[in-house]
Amino acid sequence: MSLLRRIVIVVATACSLTAPAGFAASAVKTPNFEKVKLANGATLLLMERHDVPLISFTAVIRGGALTDPEDRLGTASLTASLLEKGAGNRDANTFAETVASVGGSITTGASTESISVGGSFLARDQKLMVELLADVLQRPRLEQAQFETLRDRSIEFIRAAKDSDRSELTPIYGAASLFGAHPYGRSVGGSEASLAAIKHADVRQYYTDNFGADRVIIAVAGDFKTAQLKSLLSRAFANWGKAGKPLPTVPKQTEITARRVLLIDAPDAVQSYFWAGDVNVAKSDPRRASLDIVNTLFGGRFTSMLNTELRIRSGLSYGANSRFDRMAEGGSWELGSFTRTEKTIEAIDLALATLDQLHAGALEKAQLESAKSYVLGQYPLGLETASQWAYQLATLEFYGLDRSYIDDYGNQLAAVTLDDAKRVIDEVIPTSRQLVLVVIGKAEVIRDGLRKYGPLTEVKLSDPEFQTGQ
Amino acid sequence: MIRRMLLLGLALVAPVGFAQVPGANEVRATTLANGMQIIVWPDHDIPNVALYNWVHAGSRNEAPGITGLAHFFEHMMFNGTSKRAPGEFDQVLEANGARNNAFTSDDVTVYQDWFPRSALETVFELEADRLQNLAFDPKIVESERDVVYSERRLRVDDSHQGRLQEQVQATAFLAHPYGIPTIGWPSDIQSWTIDDLKRFFSTYYAPNNCTLVLVGDVDPDNVIALARKHFEPIPKQEPPRPVKTVEPEQQGERRVAVNADAQTPLIQFAYHGLAGSDPRRPALDLLTRVLTDGDASRLHRSLVEEQKLAISADSYFTAGFDPGLVWFFLSLPAEGDAKQAEAEFTRQIERIIKEGVTKDELARARSQALADFWRGLATIDGKAQALGSFAVLQGGYQKLFDEPRAYDSVTQQDVQKLAAELLRSTNRTVGVLKSPPDASQTKTGGAQ
Repeated sequence: MSLLRRIVIVVATACSLTAPAGFAASAVKTPNFEKVKLANGATLLLMERHDVPLISFTAVIRGGALTDPEDRLGTASLTASLLEKGAGNRDANTFAETVASVGGSITTGASTESISVGGSFLARDQKLMVELLADVLQRPRLEQAQFETLRDRSIEFIRAAKDSDRSELTPIYGAASLFGAHPYGRSVGGSEASLAAIKHADVRQYYTDNFGADRVIIAVAGDFKTAQLKSLLSRAFANWGKAGKPLPTVPKQTEITARRVLLIDAPDAVQSYFWAGDVNVAKSDPRRASLDIVNTLFGGRFTSMLNTELRIRSGLSYGANSRFDRMAEGGSWELGSFTRTEKTIEAIDLALATLDQLHAGALEKAQLESAKSYVLGQYPLGLETASQWAYQLATLEFYGLDRSYIDDYGNQLAAVTLDDAKRVIDEVIPTSRQLVLVVIGKAEVIRDGLRKYGPLTEVKLSDPEFQTGQ
Repeated sequence: MIRRMLLLGLALVAPVGFAQVPGANEVRATTLANGMQIIVWPDHDIPNVALYNWVHAGSRNEAPGITGLAHFFEHMMFNGTSKRAPGEFDQVLEANGARNNAFTSDDVTVYQDWFPRSALETVFELEADRLQNLAFDPKIVESERDVVYSERRLRVDDSHQGRLQEQVQATAFLAHPYGIPTIGWPSDIQSWTIDDLKRFFSTYYAPNNCTLVLVGDVDPDNVIALARKHFEPIPKQEPPRPVKTVEPEQQGERRVAVNADAQTPLIQFAYHGLAGSDPRRPALDLLTRVLTDGDASRLHRSLVEEQKLAISADSYFTAGFDPGLVWFFLSLPAEGDAKQAEAEFTRQIERIIKEGVTKDELARARSQALADFWRGLATIDGKAQALGSFAVLQGGYQKLFDEPRAYDSVTQQDVQKLAAELLRSTNRTVGVLKSPPDASQTKTGGAQ
């Protein structure tokens, strides 16, 4: 069981910083933190937490895949991976040894909207931590040999992923198909084909254009003294210049008006992995509490409508879930599951029928209260460690939100009525006719059955692209 | 897979270096009259509680015909009792703000609840009910059989790492039930009977075969009082028959090949290793960290960075009631040469046996272990995982707090000696997954 149970949960927490009705008493409040804006635009956020002798940080650079050159998708992601392969006066080996020798960790990654560098060090190593973070962001070496190794390995990782759990690939094909040429549809890690086109100079140019003090947020939480760490960080980042280019604006996303199907042929698959989604609301949407409750009930926890139908009642699947992916200017709402090849159509029919049920007004008061308790009860578990707080602070700042986003959430949940929930189902959750449907599976068995859902485009899992021109 | 989660958990419980863990002296432990062990660690950072019920039954307790049964219980335990309808367990918990999960390994099945402190008694009621009154509705059993099969397809049949690992593990053990895949062989998943289930439940799901761990915003006296109220009335059972089989010493290297339409070939190595209570476990942890923990580790550097024979090199080890396996995983690039990658891996292993590890490498591995120890103890969930695995598998929960010292006392000689003893080629099983020659010819233009 574990995995899917777990996925359901992660999803629930991700879309549900919480705290319901009469239970506001147990909601978590944001501990005090200090915000510093340096003259060059860099933002620092510092929160002391003294429970274990660790310091954690999350640094975020605005941009991410949004700033990838259109014909070189994956450039931001490759740049992120290269940051820690040698920086300042340390080559890649020395850098790795330095981090490991003090038991530190530094991880870098890209997302649709940003590049992030996270890590944690023992409290005694805070000076070294600041030095390494400053080097990674301001003085990465971005050497050619490291670049080539990483690019080639990234291509191999995509191939390896296609030999592994396919449920992790459906959201990539899903976003590509749903958003098309819109930047939210980009595969953040690129594709086998797009990575092969990236040159060393592209990464250097990407760094020059997109890294700078005006793009950075650095959030730190843990076992330190604010005055001391503030002074260390301020000195380390005060002389950093601005990024070479302004941030691009994100175009409006196109609504889905008619259902269509993307089939990805995996001839050796014994299960079909399906995904259905629509374009959806942004992070700042004021109906957040209602949205989180509705998604929790539909596909965000173990007893959700979707998991009840596809797993508990029918045994068709190990699990089924739904989630919002909310970004600055929009995003998506999507559901996903999998079942053995012969049951593909039955399972998809059931998932869509369950969505129809939601629209038909299946929601009751008791369920609403249960979802409020659930979201509230799980809320503190995502706000427990220094590393979680560093991440939360950086996220609030990134989206221009303040602490009330966390502190008032319990009251917002408590205030949600059945009518509010029904309204967002009407306004925000797509109907079963408004979806892009993506299926990875054995095409020769399922192709004909899938045609009834709409015009079908077929590609091969081994094709080196995620974009399908659909 | 499931097994991996457990082990990653164990690996986090590595070494300290700092003498005292805050709050360690507040841990309370007691044994109920029916033999159930209760361990409580108060931690008031957040108003929540993590509960882990460790049932001492895993795939180690299975035999041909009933493989996968321990894991199947992980599913059945959510499916109704004589007092509660199927689904009620999850519905009541979620309505009280709680989330639950479970995992199964070779050694244990562990039931987890994470909940606001206000739900404490409800959780105790529900946990005690399913331990005592589990129902076996034939319709539910059939439906859940399909769910488990779907899990198997996800983790094993449609995953090349999973497919290979199952074959390697089965090959590594001739006699000991650690060779049984925790998810179960397909024909067994399809054919367990209700009687098999009832027998397994009455044998292993007894209070005297459980260790209950709670960490979080609780008062230990209150927890123990609730345990007496809800769990103590459950009658003790005859202790399960011990697993007596000892894996005979391996006589020479074993090999297993898996043909699959693979874009990227895989190699796995599994060496017979240590039991959880073996005092050399910290030395083994440090040895595997020197080889694969981070970009500075030996195998990563040689195989991935310098020679580019692999795209990743990872390891983990199982250390349960009986000696487990020390695993190494290599993923190769699409047209990678499995022979060359294996030769370089073996060369690195022979080097560490012959020359040992350097002082710097040992110090680095220790620091990584120390930091991981603290990261593991940063959450109530991590603490419950750590306390439970020490209590059940590693010779007592108090040993958790001795970990720093245990790691500090490991010497370069200890690591080298252990490498020489365990990482002999005659003690290993090698598995290779790649496309069969005809398939790869169409795909790679005859690169083989």
